[in-house]
Amino acid sequence: MYIVVVGAGTVGYALALELQAMADHEVVLVERDRARAAELREELGEMVVHGDGTEVVFLDSVGTRRADVFIAVTGDDGTNLVSCQVAKHWFKAGRTIARVNNPHNEALFRTLGIDSTVSATGAIMAQIEVSLPEHTVVPLMRLKESGMEIADLHVIAGSAAEGRAVRSLDLPPDTVISLVITDGVPRIPTGETVLAAGDEVIAVISQSSEAALRKLMSGPEQEA
Amino acid sequence: MNIVIMGCGRVGSTLATRLATEGHHVAIIDTDPYSFRRLGSEFNGERFVGSGYDDHVLVAAGIKEADAFMALTQGDNRNLLAAQIAKHTFGVPTAVARVYDPFRGELFAHLGLRTFSPTNIGAEMAYDALTREQ
Repeated sequence: MYIVVVGAGTVGYALALELQAMADHEVVLVERDRARAAELREELGEMVVHGDGTEVVFLDSVGTRRADVFIAVTGDDGTNLVSCQVAKHWFKAGRTIARVNNPHNEALFRTLGIDSTVSATGAIMAQIEVSLPEHTVVPLMRLKESGMEIADLHVIAGSAAEGRAVRSLDLPPDTVISLVITDGVPRIPTGETVLAAGDEVIAVISQSSEAALRKLMSGPEQEA
Repeated sequence: MNIVIMGCGRVGSTLATRLATEGHHVAIIDTDPYSFRRLGSEFNGERFVGSGYDDHVLVAAGIKEADAFMALTQGDNRNLLAAQIAKHTFGVPTAVARVYDPFRGELFAHLGLRTFSPTNIGAEMAYDALTREQ
């Protein structure tokens, strides 16, 4: 695959190194700062190119037209968004991936057709939510085509879900329980699988069913 | 009209003063409060210090009731991000962005923004100045 990475900061640099180590990938790392680009060129060679990754003429010169994957990971959301939009709409690059620095921009990036967004803040927030007892439903990722979410659910002692078979749960519509993890052992559940306190459940859910699921998985004190 | 302007440079301040004197309700945003000195004494609109793509600043400046948003900073990408936030997040009907790179300007005009390129306009005027009859 031909992969263009815009932004040779900590993220872009590490990413380019990983990609370069994999066989069959041709990678270009774009850096706007001349000194930083020269320094990295010494280390990584010709894959590093100095230029503005949002400029049409420059992006043309690095072959964005034939890029299978186009990734923008600078520390500036404006640059990442515009870079991916130019790649997608002007050059019809394959898949566009943008780093989102301000989590408030994540929804906008998706609305504007960026194929994938990566937010460090969002990822860290999800980790924090997993460890909070009151957060029983943690969205892990959104599926681009359907808008469905993959979520991590926790069965709390005393909750409505505890001790019930999957079949008899009052699940909201558009909810499929895909995996039940008990004491570190994953199982694909059947209708007869009984949920126990402490179980971790991976489910495909719709955004609108999040609140109902939370109620189902939470302890009685949180239902009030 | 309710108009929110991001960027109080020479163009932003001149435009803000003009629109305010024409009777429009104008709110102008800039990261540097010192830039507001450029506003004419007849400017009777509101001034907000902050980033034009910070939701809180935009809401304080009245983006939800705005009829138009104008992104006039020196940065093409900043302008394009802010104009798209105004249009797609807050539903502002008219979003204008100044874009120096003519190609980028053309692309985002196709994507629903109103764009203009000082590069094209400047080159055109320079050409006219050179070739016009005395």
